[in-house]
Amino acid sequence: MKLKQSLFTRRQFLNGLLGGWLGALAATFAYPIVKFLFPPTPEPEQVILPLADYSSIPPNSIKPFAWGSKPGFIKKSDNGTLVAFVAVCTHLDCTVAYLADQRKFFCACHDGWYDDNGTNIGGPPPKPLRRLVLAEEGANLIVKREVTK
Amino acid sequence: MNLRRISRGAAAWFEERLGLNAVMELLKRKEVPQNKDTIWTYTGSLILLFFGIQVVTGIMLAFYYKPTLELANKSIGRIMTEVPLGWIIRSVHFWSATFMIAIAFIHLLSIWIIKSYRKPRELTWMSGVFLLVFTLAFGFTGYLLPWDDLSLAATKVGTDIPRSIPLVGVWVTKFLRGGDDISGDTLSRFFSFHISILPLCLLAVLCFHIYLIQKQGMSLPLGAQERVDKKRALPFWPNFVFREAIVWLIFSGVLITMAVLLPPSLSKAADLMAPAPEGIKPEWYFLFLFQTLKIFPPKILFVNGDTVAVLVIFAGVILFFCLPLIDNKPEQRKGKFITFAAYLFILYAVAMSVWSLLS
Repeated sequence: MKLKQSLFTRRQFLNGLLGGWLGALAATFAYPIVKFLFPPTPEPEQVILPLADYSSIPPNSIKPFAWGSKPGFIKKSDNGTLVAFVAVCTHLDCTVAYLADQRKFFCACHDGWYDDNGTNIGGPPPKPLRRLVLAEEGANLIVKREVTK
Repeated sequence: MNLRRISRGAAAWFEERLGLNAVMELLKRKEVPQNKDTIWTYTGSLILLFFGIQVVTGIMLAFYYKPTLELANKSIGRIMTEVPLGWIIRSVHFWSATFMIAIAFIHLLSIWIIKSYRKPRELTWMSGVFLLVFTLAFGFTGYLLPWDDLSLAATKVGTDIPRSIPLVGVWVTKFLRGGDDISGDTLSRFFSFHISILPLCLLAVLCFHIYLIQKQGMSLPLGAQERVDKKRALPFWPNFVFREAIVWLIFSGVLITMAVLLPPSLSKAADLMAPAPEGIKPEWYFLFLFQTLKIFPPKILFVNGDTVAVLVIFAGVILFFCLPLIDNKPEQRKGKFITFAAYLFILYAVAMSVWSLLS
């Protein structure tokens, strides 16, 4: 079927073609630039720590370690078991502190409180502290990502 | 068509406030003469293209680069291996520098030979010589930043050269190095030159250079009949810009091909206490100066050979800078001699570079 009247002029068509092509060209240049700006910071699969350094801490105290680029805590409970946390407040990413005398984790940025199991009990934090899985292998303490349910 | 109405409305809103249509009108009226020398006109905008690429890729590299003794070499290694597409960004930065310098040389030599620097364009030429010096300084300072053994050796030699200038030389060397010897301070100083001082200097002179070109228009070759050439002139917008776009696209393609196939290497981190590696040579654009320094004997009539060589090179640069003042009558015999001097210079530079490469 031949239209009585064309929907756009030849100039519009050519301008659209050229403009679209220029846009595609710009996108091919922009893509590597955007890619470059976001470096991968993958979370570690596991972190290996010397067991002796961490099993020797007194009960109800913590010792920090590096979970990739995030701070982590290994905490010894009263019964001697070790627990690992990512020491990052679930509110706005501040690093929390452990107040042994109160048996609480405290985030100073916005007065966030967690109990000694990492459960949020006061202030703005919406979620408990992230837990990591611990395993002992010979002289090593292995910290792994928590099993996703 | 609703979108079109909105965009037209937005364009009108900005136009009312910015008044950019006047600039577009100027560009439409601006003409580029068509003659046998027109091809050289494209070299100027090509340098601009490569400079633009240098600015973009340079800013990107600075996001990851760390100018300290411990981390400079390591951070480049990280850019080359870990940062997504980092290797090609560095490679493009390297190759775009090479292209920019090569085409800057061609640009100046072509103007030397076709004599576009004659009255009233003396200042355009002189600002152009400044731009060349800044461009070479970019190359020199950038060469140190990967902090590998080659770049350290090249910088040691390069910053030692001014020392043979009488009176001020020692201070120039100290200023460049940030002390008597090359240290971490030299690295941060070169980084500061490379990413802050030189870009500001170059941009300022570039604005002046481009202003003069816009004000005076393109020069016509010697003996051209103004009226005949006027008839063949192309409007700058859109005709000339479209032709430039073709040249830009071709060169972008060549640049990226080179960057993909021949990325620059990175050898192990420089050791300030280690002896210089064997067979060090500067980048190709300094080879002819490097060889010139080498052929001077250690003593010329009780004077240090180095001092003479540096003074000769310095005098050459001054003559080059003053070319439009020396060659003030290009249509006469003097003009022919100046053209001859240009070819002689090309022959000398190529011969010296080849000699240096083979030795």
